[in-house]
Amino acid sequence: MFWHNFKYSVKCILREKTTLFWTLIFPLALFTFEYLSFGNLMESDEIFSKIPVAVVREDESDTALYETLMALSEQGDNQVLDAEVMDEEEALESLKNEDISGIIYTADASLTVLESDVYSSIIKSILDQYLQIRGIYKSVAEKDVMMAAEIVSGLMTDELYYTEVSTSDGCQNEYYNFFYAVFAMSCLFSSLAAIERFSRLQANASALGMRRSISPNTKLVSVISEYMAILMIQFLIELITLGYMMLFGIDFGNQYPAIILTLFIGCNIGISIGMLISALKCGEGTKTGITCGINMLCSVMADLCANGIKYFIECHAPIINRINPAALITDCFYALNVYDTYDRFFRNIITMGIMSVVLVAIGILILRRNKYASV
Amino acid sequence: MGNTIEVKNLVKRYKDFVALDHFSMEVKEGEIFGLLGPNGSGKTTTINCILSLLEFDKGEIKVFGREMKPSSYDIKKDIGVVMQNVAVFDEMTVYENVDYFCGLYVKDKTIRKNYVEEAIEFVGLSDYKKFLPKKLSGGLLRRLNIACGIAHKPKLIFFDEPTVAVDPQSRNKILEGIVKLNEEGATIVYTSHYMEEVEQICTRILIMDNGRQVALGTKSELKKMIKKTETISAELPELKSSDLENLKKLPHVYETSYTDGELKLMYSGGNHNLVRVMEYLKDHNIMFGRVYTESPTLNDIFLEITGKTLRD
Repeated sequence: MFWHNFKYSVKCILREKTTLFWTLIFPLALFTFEYLSFGNLMESDEIFSKIPVAVVREDESDTALYETLMALSEQGDNQVLDAEVMDEEEALESLKNEDISGIIYTADASLTVLESDVYSSIIKSILDQYLQIRGIYKSVAEKDVMMAAEIVSGLMTDELYYTEVSTSDGCQNEYYNFFYAVFAMSCLFSSLAAIERFSRLQANASALGMRRSISPNTKLVSVISEYMAILMIQFLIELITLGYMMLFGIDFGNQYPAIILTLFIGCNIGISIGMLISALKCGEGTKTGITCGINMLCSVMADLCANGIKYFIECHAPIINRINPAALITDCFYALNVYDTYDRFFRNIITMGIMSVVLVAIGILILRRNKYASV
Repeated sequence: MGNTIEVKNLVKRYKDFVALDHFSMEVKEGEIFGLLGPNGSGKTTTINCILSLLEFDKGEIKVFGREMKPSSYDIKKDIGVVMQNVAVFDEMTVYENVDYFCGLYVKDKTIRKNYVEEAIEFVGLSDYKKFLPKKLSGGLLRRLNIACGIAHKPKLIFFDEPTVAVDPQSRNKILEGIVKLNEEGATIVYTSHYMEEVEQICTRILIMDNGRQVALGTKSELKKMIKKTETISAELPELKSSDLENLKKLPHVYETSYTDGELKLMYSGGNHNLVRVMEYLKDHNIMFGRVYTESPTLNDIFLEITGKTLRD
């Protein structure tokens, strides 16, 4: 009986196009849209490009500045500037045409820009740093030439006195929060399939429910087989979504067992929410509406639409993040990528697990009955 | 023959509304039992209570001699139900639907396969096995609904208004099928508010109204319960009031009417009534068209007992 029910439930779910759209196609489309929207922003190398500047050498006495600017303009990974030597008139013309971001005068290390923006700030910062080092060198050289040479040598080695250590192997790109939220939403959308399937088990909700209620089988077996069928398909959908994101080069670190566990528990909580809502005494349309509303609200509060909502909630009403299933799912991913321990991850997993068990238990108690006050 | 169903003093209330008011009935093994009544008379409520889908306030229900409970799986396995509303999966084909519902009763795959094929052939859907329900017409969909309810070869089958919104061809097919199932040994409980169907196929008929039994018996037994034995109708272009008075004085006539050129004479017994009417018309040179006689219908029975028609 279990396998018979399970087999046909799987068939029905796979053939139900509306539910399949919301659980599979919509999350994939949403991810693709998000990826195309700010995919480039995630690649840090692309954020900064070389700044075109004009170098005016009216007095060639400050060769150190000139050499510094040329060094910063050398092609390669560390290229900051794209400096070109020009006479003043030509440089002013280029600046006016916005071909360059600024004019550096080597005689007095001064800077001329058309407007204050991020590029002019960077050029100004380079010049300030140059003047600061030159000042230190001059000041020390007046007292001790040998020490000045040592300082220059020290500055040239660019030695770091600290070591960067990542607490985890995961990706800490804040834009990944959007993708985590897509997973959360996708998991919660399994509630839609649950609404439909469990409504068809209840005699007071559908004619199919009546026919199934009078069959010589315990309701519990039907409920469990439906649950397992939805869980299997939804979990597969999550794995497909994960694979799809990986095809786009999204790196979730090397925590795949934990990620898969998160998705599995996430599916469970989505189905259990749907199961409970399906037991409400109202039409299937109303139930679907309630479910969609809850799913969207939870997902938005977990940063699906804008980064920062979850953090705002954490600051002002943290309890909401502790019980919002979407926030718990995204927080699992966040915890995996940021922390080197699993404490926070397992706290979220256990919370979701308990919520699922409680919701499923209540759902079964309601759904397993066979006799109704009205049908 | 023993009783397949026994219902005693069944009371079902929906808040202040009494849907079943100390309702009792017995269905004998091997019969086609008709539950006849207007919409809202309590037919479907009775069936739902018997099937243990509905909680009821008072009464006793036995099926196959045993008390019926939600957990009476040994009883349920021998029951088939054809719902008033079509109850099939839209995502499954005709074959898959029948196989699914049959599979809830029959575990053995080989036996089930045969049962499913037989049920599909029985309702005449062999050419539509791979069709999805949405591709079927209303009549074919009703037939699929029937196949899903009878595929497991139940001993007791409930047909709850199976011909609602069905074309005449499918309706006849359905009625023929029900009789055939009965001939093969199944006890049938058939509910309808179409008296012609009930008259056509049922062995015994229970007429109910307002959740109560109004009359019970075979067709002839029911007809004996009322005063009317015959109605003679005649199409007359014109009729004098004196002739109408004279016709009323004919033996066994207890009521007459003449409206829209049609004369109706109601009889409470007697033989050769039609001959007497024809002779009177001939002797008094009254022009007449069609003249015919009718036996009392179930509607007449219902009308005489309750004062309203079945379709009120």
